[in-house]
Amino acid sequence: MTTDTPAAAGRTESRNGRTESRNGRTGPRIGRTEPAIGRDADRLLLSAVRRSGGWAGLLVLAALGSVLAQVLLPAVVGSAVDSAMSGRPDDGRITTCAAVIAVFIVCEVLSDLAAGRSSAAGTAWLRRAQLAHLLTLGGRATARFDPGDLTARLIGGAADAGAAAEAAVWAALSVLPTLTSVVALWLIDPWLALTFLVGMPALVYFLRSYAQDMSALITRYQKVQGAIAAGFVEALGGMRTIAAAGTTDREAERVLRPLPELSGLGHGFWRAQTRVASQSALLAPLLDVAVLSVAGFGLAAGRVTPGEMLAASRYAALGTGLGMTAMFLGRLARARAGGGRIREVLAEPATAYGVRALPSGPGRLELRGVTVRVDGRALLDGVDLTVPGGTSLAIVGRSGTGKSLLAAVAGRLTDPHGGTVLLDGVPLPELSREELRGAIGYAFERPALLGRTVGEAIALDDVAEADRPRLSRAAAAACIDAFVERLPDGYRTDLRDVPMSGGEAQRIGLARAFAHRGRALVLDDATSSLDTVTEFEVSTALTTELAGRTRLIVAHRASTAARCDLVAWLDGGGIRRIGPHDELWALPEYRAVFRPDQPVGEDRPADEDRPADGAGPDAARPSPAEVGT
Amino acid sequence: MNRTPEVSLRTELLAPLRRSPRVVVRLALWSAVEALPGFAAGRLVAGAVDSGFGAGRPGVGMAYLALLGVAVFVGAWATRQVYPRLAALVEPLRDDLVRRVVTGGLHAARTAPGRPDTAGVARLTQQVEIVREAYAGITMVVRRFVFSVGGALLGMCFLEPLVLVVVLPPLLAAAGLLALMLRSTTDAQRELLLADERLAAEAGAVIGGLRDVTAAGAERWTGDRLSTAVERQALAARRVARLTADRTLVLAVGGWLPLVLLLSTASWLTGHGVTAGGLLGSVTYITQGLQPALQTLVQGLGGSGVRLAVTLRRILESTPPEPAAPAPGPAGRTHGPYGVELSKVGFAYGPGAEPVVRDLDLTIGPGEHLVVVGPSGIGKSTLAGLIAGLLRPTGGEVRLGGRPLPADPAELARHRVLIPQEAYVFTGTLDENLRYLAPDAGPGDVDRAVAAIGLEGLVERLGGHRAQIAPDALSAGERQQIALARAYLSPADLVVLDEATCHLDPVAEARAEEAFARRRGSLLVIAHRMSSALRADRVLVMDGTDAVAGSHEELLTSSALYRDLTGHWRRPAGAR
Repeated sequence: MTTDTPAAAGRTESRNGRTESRNGRTGPRIGRTEPAIGRDADRLLLSAVRRSGGWAGLLVLAALGSVLAQVLLPAVVGSAVDSAMSGRPDDGRITTCAAVIAVFIVCEVLSDLAAGRSSAAGTAWLRRAQLAHLLTLGGRATARFDPGDLTARLIGGAADAGAAAEAAVWAALSVLPTLTSVVALWLIDPWLALTFLVGMPALVYFLRSYAQDMSALITRYQKVQGAIAAGFVEALGGMRTIAAAGTTDREAERVLRPLPELSGLGHGFWRAQTRVASQSALLAPLLDVAVLSVAGFGLAAGRVTPGEMLAASRYAALGTGLGMTAMFLGRLARARAGGGRIREVLAEPATAYGVRALPSGPGRLELRGVTVRVDGRALLDGVDLTVPGGTSLAIVGRSGTGKSLLAAVAGRLTDPHGGTVLLDGVPLPELSREELRGAIGYAFERPALLGRTVGEAIALDDVAEADRPRLSRAAAAACIDAFVERLPDGYRTDLRDVPMSGGEAQRIGLARAFAHRGRALVLDDATSSLDTVTEFEVSTALTTELAGRTRLIVAHRASTAARCDLVAWLDGGGIRRIGPHDELWALPEYRAVFRPDQPVGEDRPADEDRPADGAGPDAARPSPAEVGT
Repeated sequence: MNRTPEVSLRTELLAPLRRSPRVVVRLALWSAVEALPGFAAGRLVAGAVDSGFGAGRPGVGMAYLALLGVAVFVGAWATRQVYPRLAALVEPLRDDLVRRVVTGGLHAARTAPGRPDTAGVARLTQQVEIVREAYAGITMVVRRFVFSVGGALLGMCFLEPLVLVVVLPPLLAAAGLLALMLRSTTDAQRELLLADERLAAEAGAVIGGLRDVTAAGAERWTGDRLSTAVERQALAARRVARLTADRTLVLAVGGWLPLVLLLSTASWLTGHGVTAGGLLGSVTYITQGLQPALQTLVQGLGGSGVRLAVTLRRILESTPPEPAAPAPGPAGRTHGPYGVELSKVGFAYGPGAEPVVRDLDLTIGPGEHLVVVGPSGIGKSTLAGLIAGLLRPTGGEVRLGGRPLPADPAELARHRVLIPQEAYVFTGTLDENLRYLAPDAGPGDVDRAVAAIGLEGLVERLGGHRAQIAPDALSAGERQQIALARAYLSPADLVVLDEATCHLDPVAEARAEEAFARRRGSLLVIAHRMSSALRADRVLVMDGTDAVAGSHEELLTSSALYRDLTGHWRRPAGAR
């Protein structure tokens, strides 16, 4: 009954103690808006059900038993009451009633247990399958889907889909009580069935108007809530200013200004509910009274026994439970949608690795005719590039010329549409995963810090005591050692306790790359958030301590390019020039690459994985070369 | 994470009830009226059968049922009165929590600067709503249970008191069993909730960093750890499933055993004067009163009770009660010009952590322009925070104009202004933003500040001082310029710019720094670019182990690091 629905307002989802973030519910970033719920999805759900180890089968049997007992109960209770009132000893009807009740209880208990167990098993299986696949997809998964959306598929989607068996069973069976109620009422007295059938539509109508009332209110409520949250985030972002100005209370006042409106809308929910609650408090019992009256006349006429009168009243109540069917159908639809969303992820083809090992070599990196298309446009078009083993090569070019894409292709984070990439003569796809990832290390502009501790974030592995010196050396080369040593527990400090600035995170990411023992290193704009002094020190480490490795460095600053052995200048889908920075510097167009005069954030194509807010530390920063003298 | 203030959930949960006792009393009264149909149903059905339909007098039977109809109308009317009272309990709770999350979140961020707790947004939008919904749900369920069970038992008492002999024992047994199970049930639910959240957090982090996992070849390590989280969640879900089944069993005992007992003792009961209608009425009380009430109680308290407790605890723990007002600082301070003296100042972020600033002695003379340079992460911002009084030194003392820094933030703000790297511009008018630190400034003052920073173009583009501005629509550099003009306008005599010009182009940066240098009072600039150092009266070079101050020329001879930095700066490799 809707009387029991508390004001469900600002939250999107909450069942079984689980909540999901609202933005997690947005569709995939590219292409399709609604995942197709197809046969594949249903097949996936069936696989999940099959993985539940017999619990789903038990669920079907127990639920069926429970529903059959449930529809029998009013009749057998009524007949037991008649028997009891006859004043004679039990003629078996009371025993039958007790037996049906016992069956009902056993089936209810078993179906609860089986539903919970099959959901848990199915959900876990779907999650494991998804995780395993996501890990093989790597960054391609997050290029195809929004990360928040992927998490929602893994958490909410799998939970919804895991409950498919339960939802399907109950959706199918919950129609039974309503149908049998009408039949039972008819069997007791046709007038009863007619009374019921007239009363029901009114009930359904009133419930529907309620849902419409609420959705408009919910939208407005969430909007006001969003306004408060936005003000809060704004103030948190400016906390240092606010703290210095001593205006914390004033800011709180400002953020909370829309609160009265929120409160007013909240009361609006209750008003909407008051209407429907009093309606249903009226309708269902009045239906009962009507059925009882009609049954009463039957009793007076001798057509109906007292027990049947009671049964009629119970059947009328059982018959109004059609709302349950709607609920389970809704859950089933959600389960199928969840299955479809998971299926979509699983349908992305995984990266295939070869089996070959690398010969010993200096780490010569070769791109042959590499072509990569984004949205049908060839951003890299037949690029040939060789980085001699042990040398450093800078990739420069204006925004949107495919620098990050080239860096991704060079270490097989993504496969080119045409051409090959070779490391010491071996095409990357022929290498085994371990061999490839062991040979090429990466550092990014915005590294993701994974693991529980700072040490794990650098090692991306469990950290043994023996690894410490290696980690410290890498941290020192990335100029983050002092930072880490000042933390309460050093390398063992919990990552969650160390919120980092962009520059600090970037240096952890650099340390991770420096700790890597491969023969080649790709730095994708990995020093962009460092101030000039720190960048200088990191670059020094790059040219001294890591001198033996092949280094491919995507650079935005002239000083970075200047310190590399060679510079490849990307322009118009290919390499325009290659040579030492000093030579290229003579060309005005080359110098213009480093000048930040182009509009930022307007027309950056999708391949550059930086956010387009233009607020990056070097959004408006001139190259060092131009400020100096 | 490591702060867990004492939180009394009971106090918080009862607070709404305690705050408005009159509402609670009215709610109880209307709930009692609402339970009228439940209370009367069995008695009236019994009457309708015994003296009406069963006795061949349908008119009397109809009269009884008409009475039941009236009771239903009265009950529905009471329902109308109940909801506004529930709203009056629940809505203020939400208001309170929102206020608490915002105020507490801002205060917490103030005392731990540089560590904004963005989880506060989830608390604001999600957790507060969970609490509101669960609180409303539980209030409703408990209320319904108490009044429908009470009504049904009372009804039976009036109808056939003897029936209670067979109905009460199983009901009490079920209640006892539920109470016994409560602990393990809530534990299991809490475990599941936490396992869900841990899994979501870990998976979210990994999914956000899939590219990095692939690049590092850390698939197996990551996969193993996530599988453990999945398994832990499934384990918790299995435990909850078992306990749910247990609860269903108890419910069945409490709800159905009375009926079985009633029917099997019927002949004994009728032998003791229980009528046919009395029996019928009792069955009605059990099936329409007791069973649904038990069911809602078990379902309602199982899930949402725990969710309420866990979520509310989380909100309360992360929003500690407001800190005590700071003790008033030394009064009677006159305005500058004054300098800053640091004597043996030290600072560390934690007891075990290595100090960021160690035994620093530094003087900024009245009207002096000092620039601090050094590698990032070396403690330049910490130094700015210490001088601005945002951080308390763990050793030594900072004095402003010869006196200790005032403890009251508002008082402190009249003497010094700090502009950090992340410029704070809020949604509001441009004028509100500019006069943030000087609400009493006249239009002429505002215009002078705008001109000094070179903001006229932006003011015009935005549509004048009264224009409403959205921070997101401004570039980082424009936001910084607004913050700079705000600082220029403030009454403070000491200006601290902590990389406050990093998003400006060199020309705009120079203009801003020169404007501040001409302004009355002292100026401390934490440099983002070395070019700032060239404009300073004096430069402080920080390099971790020690800090050296001097003029540009002095430092060129005395500091190797400074030589490196400036040398590197002035002779970039590309322009050799």
